[in-house]
Amino acid sequence: MLYRVIDADELPALVEAFMRDYEVIAPVRSGRSFAFEAVSSFDEIVLDYPTTLTSLKKYLLPPRETLFEYDMEDGVTDYELRVQPRVLFGAHACDINAMNNLDLVFEDARYPDPYYEAHRAATMVVGIGCTPDDSCFCHLLDSGEVRSGYDLFLVDIGGRYLVSIGSVKAADILEGACSPREATDADRRAFREYTRARQQAFNPDIPSVQEIPMLMDAFHSDAFWEELGSRCLNCTACASVCPTCYCFDIRDVLDPSGETGRRERVWDACTSPQFALVTGGHNFRAGTRERVRHRMYHKLNGFNSKHGRYLCVGCGRCVHACKTDISPIKVLEFFEQKGAEDAE
Amino acid sequence: MAETRNIPRVVVVGLASCFGCQINITNIEAHLMEVLGQIDMRYWQLTSSDSMPEEFDVAVVEGAATTEEAMQTLRRVRERASAVITIGACAATAGIPGMAAPDWEPRVADVYGAQVPAIVGDIACAPRAVSEVIEVDYAVPCCPIDPHDFVRVLQKALYGGNEYDRTSTMCGECKRNERGCFYGRQTLCLGMVTKQGCGARCPNLGRPCNGCAGLSPDANLAAARIVAERSGVGAQRLDEALEMFNQESLRSA
Amino acid sequence: MPNSMSVHVGPLAHDAAVMDGAQLMSANPYRPWEARITSITPLTENEKLFEFRLIDERIREAFHHEPGQFVEVSIFGVGEAPISISSSPSKGGFIELCVRRMGEFTRRLHEMQCGDIVGLRGPYGRPFPFDDMRGHDVLLVAGGLGIAPLRSLINNIHDERSDFGNVTIIYGSKNPSEVMFRDQFEMWRHRKDFDLYLTVDNPDDTWDGEVGLVTAPFEHLEVDPGNTFGAICGPPVMYRFVVEEMRKKGIPYDRIFMSFERHMKCGMGKCGHCQVGHQYCCIDGPVFNYWEAKNIQGSM
Repeated sequence: MLYRVIDADELPALVEAFMRDYEVIAPVRSGRSFAFEAVSSFDEIVLDYPTTLTSLKKYLLPPRETLFEYDMEDGVTDYELRVQPRVLFGAHACDINAMNNLDLVFEDARYPDPYYEAHRAATMVVGIGCTPDDSCFCHLLDSGEVRSGYDLFLVDIGGRYLVSIGSVKAADILEGACSPREATDADRRAFREYTRARQQAFNPDIPSVQEIPMLMDAFHSDAFWEELGSRCLNCTACASVCPTCYCFDIRDVLDPSGETGRRERVWDACTSPQFALVTGGHNFRAGTRERVRHRMYHKLNGFNSKHGRYLCVGCGRCVHACKTDISPIKVLEFFEQKGAEDAE
Repeated sequence: MAETRNIPRVVVVGLASCFGCQINITNIEAHLMEVLGQIDMRYWQLTSSDSMPEEFDVAVVEGAATTEEAMQTLRRVRERASAVITIGACAATAGIPGMAAPDWEPRVADVYGAQVPAIVGDIACAPRAVSEVIEVDYAVPCCPIDPHDFVRVLQKALYGGNEYDRTSTMCGECKRNERGCFYGRQTLCLGMVTKQGCGARCPNLGRPCNGCAGLSPDANLAAARIVAERSGVGAQRLDEALEMFNQESLRSA
Repeated sequence: MPNSMSVHVGPLAHDAAVMDGAQLMSANPYRPWEARITSITPLTENEKLFEFRLIDERIREAFHHEPGQFVEVSIFGVGEAPISISSSPSKGGFIELCVRRMGEFTRRLHEMQCGDIVGLRGPYGRPFPFDDMRGHDVLLVAGGLGIAPLRSLINNIHDERSDFGNVTIIYGSKNPSEVMFRDQFEMWRHRKDFDLYLTVDNPDDTWDGEVGLVTAPFEHLEVDPGNTFGAICGPPVMYRFVVEEMRKKGIPYDRIFMSFERHMKCGMGKCGHCQVGHQYCCIDGPVFNYWEAKNIQGSM
C-alpha cells in the first residue's frame, strides 16, 4: 500500500477539495451521540468520534429504494435511479470492513445488484484511525484493520497524518489539495506508537474466543439461546444500527391515483417476527429464541461459510442500541463461560 | 395490467371518537380527489346527515363501540361489507373511550349513583374495540391516523397487496431515524412495546411514544418492564402509560 | 453541493430494442417480464394450474428452467410471490404454475382470466440433478402441494423415459378431493413404466387408491439402494419421516433430494428471507440433498 504523510493543518483543504465534486458525509455531533451526515465545512467534522449511532450502509443500501416504476395499464416504465456522488469521510476500519462485506453480497458475480453497484461506484471512502471504546470488539472478529475498500485512510500520528492511498482518483485529489511527503523514520515510529496504543485500548473484558463458527454449531441447542431470546423486545433496533444487516423486503406501493406505482425495497430484519413467515401461515422462526439465534448465527457462522469472513465487524453499535443487552459480546461471554465451567 | 372492476361502494361510519380521523382523511388535499375517483363514496357520516345505505362493499369505521346501537351497526356493517377497515386508535384498541372499560359497573355507579338513567343501563356498555365485536380486515392505526396510511390501506382493500402485517415494535424505526433513546435520559417512552408502522414519528419530533399505534401482539412486556425499572423510569409508570390507548390489549395480554 | 447524477438501471425502452433476451434479463434482475395467461385449469377447490407465455420473444427464448426451479410472479400493485414451476422444461415456450389460493397474492391470481398479464422473472434456484439421475431408478415422494415442483421432474422423466430405470411415484393427500393432476395419474396407473401410489389420509366412497401416510407404501417397496435417487417435496413435517424410510432402504445421503419451502423474496441470495442456517434457499437450494440438509442448522 502506498502511503504518504500530510500535516494536520492540510486536512481542511483536502475536505474542501472533495466538496467541489462530491457530497461529503462525515461524523458530526448529534444530540449526545454522533452521526454520519452531509457536512458543508470541515469545522463540523468530529475526527475523534468514538462511534456513531447508525452506520454508513444507508449510503449504499438506502432504507427505502425504488427498484422500478410501473403503470397499471402498460406495465414497467422507464425509470432512472438518482445517485449522489459522495465521499464517506472519517470511516473507521470496522465500517469499511462492513462495506466490503456488503460488496460480497451485492456485487457477487452471479447476481450483481445494479442499484447497489451504482451507489458504490459513485462513492469514495476516506477512512480514519480510531481509538476503541468499551464496546468495540472489531479486533476479535478480524475487522480491526482494513487493507482494501477505501480510497484514503488517515492515521493521526501527532500533528500530522499517515495517509494510505487506495485509488488513483484519491491520489490526484490528495496531491492537488495537500503537499504529501515521504514518511520519515520518526513518522513510522509514530505510526507504530499509534498501533500499540490502539491495541492496548481495547476492552480486555470482552473475551477473545477461538473457533467461534464451530462453537455456534456446537452450542446451537443450548439453553443460552432461550434465555437470550426471552429478553428480545422484537424491536429490530439491532438491524437498524448494524453496518452489515442487509436484509430487505420487496413491496409494491401504489400512487394515490391507483394508476401508477412502484416496486421498492425497504430494510428488513431477521429479528422481525414475520421475517421467516411463508404464505399459508407457517413461520420458520416463530420465536425470539430462533430469531435472535439466527441473527447471531449468520453474523458469526453463516456468512463465514459462504465468504470466509465474519459478517459481524465488532463495531459495538448493537451493544448500545439493544435495551435488553443482546449482542455478540454476550455470545462471546457465553462461550468463554462454557469453557470455564467445564474446567472446574 | 388492465383489470375490469366495478367501482367499489364505500361507507365511512363514526362511532365513539372525536371524528378526528375522518377529518384527517381530508388532509390528503392534493390527492383527495384522486382517491375519491377510485371509489363510489356512498356515505360519509362526518359530512352527511343521511342514514347509512343498505348496500356497500367497503366499510371504514372510526371509533370504539360504546352502545348496543353501535354493536348493531357494526354487525350490520360486517354482514354487508366485503372489507372492513378501522381507522384510528379508538376503533383499533378502544383507545381513549377504552380507558373507561375497566371497572365499568362501579364507575357507572360512581357517576350516577343509585339512579342510573335508562340510557346508560339499557344502551351504553363498556367500550370495546371494533375487532372485539366483528372481524376486521384492515386497520389504519394511530391517534390520529396518517391520511397517507389510510390511502395505502384503502388501496390494499381495493386492489390487494401481499405485504405482511408487521408486529415488530418501534425502536427499530426510531434507530432508522438515527435517534438516541429516551430511556438513556430516564424518560418514559412506549416505543419498545408499541407496534411499528408510524415511522416513530413522535420520537422523531422529540416526544416519547404514547402507544397510540397499539400494543404489539409480540410486545415483550416483561422485558420492557425490566428496562423501565433499570433505567430509573419504573415499571409501574410504563404500565400506567399503557392504559391510555391499550386498556383492552392489556386485559387480554 | 454537487448535483446528483442519474443512472439508468436498465434497460430503458430505447436501449432494450437492440438487446437479446439474456442481456435484457441481466440488465435489471429485479425487473419482471410480461407474461400472458394462456390457460387456466382448475385442479381442486383451491388449486389451479396456470399456463403462461412470456410476451417478448427474446425473453421467451432466453428463459430456460430445470425441474425444481421457481419464478417470481408479479401482479403490479399487489406484489411478488415465488412459485415453483410445475411444467417440464421439455414443454418449450410455456410455463405452468400450480397455485393454491392461500394469501392475498394467490387470491388475486385466482381471480385472473385467460389473456390477463402478470410479470415473471427467473428462473431461480438450484434444480433437481436431472442429468445425474439419468440411468438410475428414481423414487419420488410428494405430499400435498409438494406435487407442484415434483411434477416438473416427473413430466421431464416421462418425456425422456428411456433414460431412466424404475420410476416410483408416491403422492399423498389429505382427502381425495385434494388430489391434483388426478386425470394424468389415473392414466399412468394403467401403464407399466411408472409405479404409482396415490394415497390419502381420509378416503371416501370414490377412492380406490391407497390409504394412509406417504410412508406407508415403503413397506412393500423394493429399492435398489446403489442405483436409486430419491426426490421429496411436501409440508415441512413430512421430510423427516420420508427421509428415514429412504435411508432404511439404503439410499445414500447425497442421493436423497428435497425441495425446501421458504419465502424467497429476491431470488438472488440477498434479501435474506429464505435463509435457513447458512444457506439461501433461493440460490443454494431450494433443492438440497440430505447430507447438505443435515448440515444446515434448523433445517429439518
